[in-house]
Amino acid sequence: MGQSMRVGKYVAAAWLAVFAVAAAAAEHPDFTGVWTNASGPGIGGATNTAAGALPFTPLAQARVAAYQKLTGGTDDSPGYWCVGTGMPGSMLGSGGYPMEILQRPEQINIVYEAHSEIRRVYFGDRNTPQADRLASRGGYSSGRWEGDTLVVETDNLVDQVDQRTPHSEDATIVERYKLDGVDAQGRRILSAEMTMTDPKFYTKPVTLQKRWAQVPNGRVLPYECTAETWYERIEAMAKKAGVPIP
Amino acid sequence: MNTIIRKALLLLVAVTAAATAGAHHSAVAFDFAKSVNYTGVVKAFRAVEPHMKMTIELKDAKGTRVVNFEGHSVNNMKRAGYNKGMVNVGDTITVTAAPYRDGTEGGYVIGAQTASGYFGMKPRGARPTDVQAVGEEVRKAAEGR
Repeated sequence: MGQSMRVGKYVAAAWLAVFAVAAAAAEHPDFTGVWTNASGPGIGGATNTAAGALPFTPLAQARVAAYQKLTGGTDDSPGYWCVGTGMPGSMLGSGGYPMEILQRPEQINIVYEAHSEIRRVYFGDRNTPQADRLASRGGYSSGRWEGDTLVVETDNLVDQVDQRTPHSEDATIVERYKLDGVDAQGRRILSAEMTMTDPKFYTKPVTLQKRWAQVPNGRVLPYECTAETWYERIEAMAKKAGVPIP
Repeated sequence: MNTIIRKALLLLVAVTAAATAGAHHSAVAFDFAKSVNYTGVVKAFRAVEPHMKMTIELKDAKGTRVVNFEGHSVNNMKRAGYNKGMVNVGDTITVTAAPYRDGTEGGYVIGAQTASGYFGMKPRGARPTDVQAVGEEVRKAAEGR
């Protein structure tokens, strides 16, 4: 075989590989971008069931009532203490602030501007074995595609009676994301549906919807919730020591 | 657990709680149905999350005094027209603030007219119906009027 033929085969193989990767990436819609609360005629934002309408178990009713009695009339909340929203609050709106989706085939990162909260959704072999997963307010999220719909299953949540949709550590959440046309401004709409199952807190699964609109060339902004506290701490230390603020 | 270690941990928790208390509070202390325009000279300013801090020196018939303000986080200010460098110590500024409900001078900044432009947020509450102006003579003096 001549040298030119061998080079030609390598080039052809390389192009095939490129096309294969491109084809694989094109199998699923790309949600990469910054998304904000969708609004406008016929398009709602977060659809949050009133707390009173949630199908609480007696245990949950008692827990929630105790929490509300303890914190009612105060400023105290996770946000007050610069604690991230957690799930499912973050995917249902995260305080009304935008979110950014960064999508790769093996992993999707979702960055919520509020509290710079980050969720990581792993696919296939990228997933952590169940025994190695840690529980957190955001839980552990595993993704898969069902056609053009992104399905995210979240477990390893910690008990969060402080959520608008409170739950126990046994809760599991399934989110389904799909593109759903454009709004009056021509922005892509991303619809999200969340179903939370938690027999300890609910007599039946709870399903809520949320719609996001893509911000053209959008960016999320920095948010360092504890910065003010730190600066005030340094000022207090300097004052106590009788020295200027460094 | 060793009693000394337990006491040390409890102290650590208490100190940590004290240090972080008040980090991100609600705005119930402010009356967003009212607004007051304060004009004075910026003595201190910090664009920070979760609440911007500003100290302004006011001069009027009540005398000269420094008044403290707070406001939105920087991401909210940015979306309302703020850019770094718009507020500097020594600048004459007019802030529109929702006053404290308890009558304390100062408030929650919902807008500011600076030498390099205006940034402002929509009041959260009802449309302002009780607009007052404090220290307007400071701006007039700064503008040579």
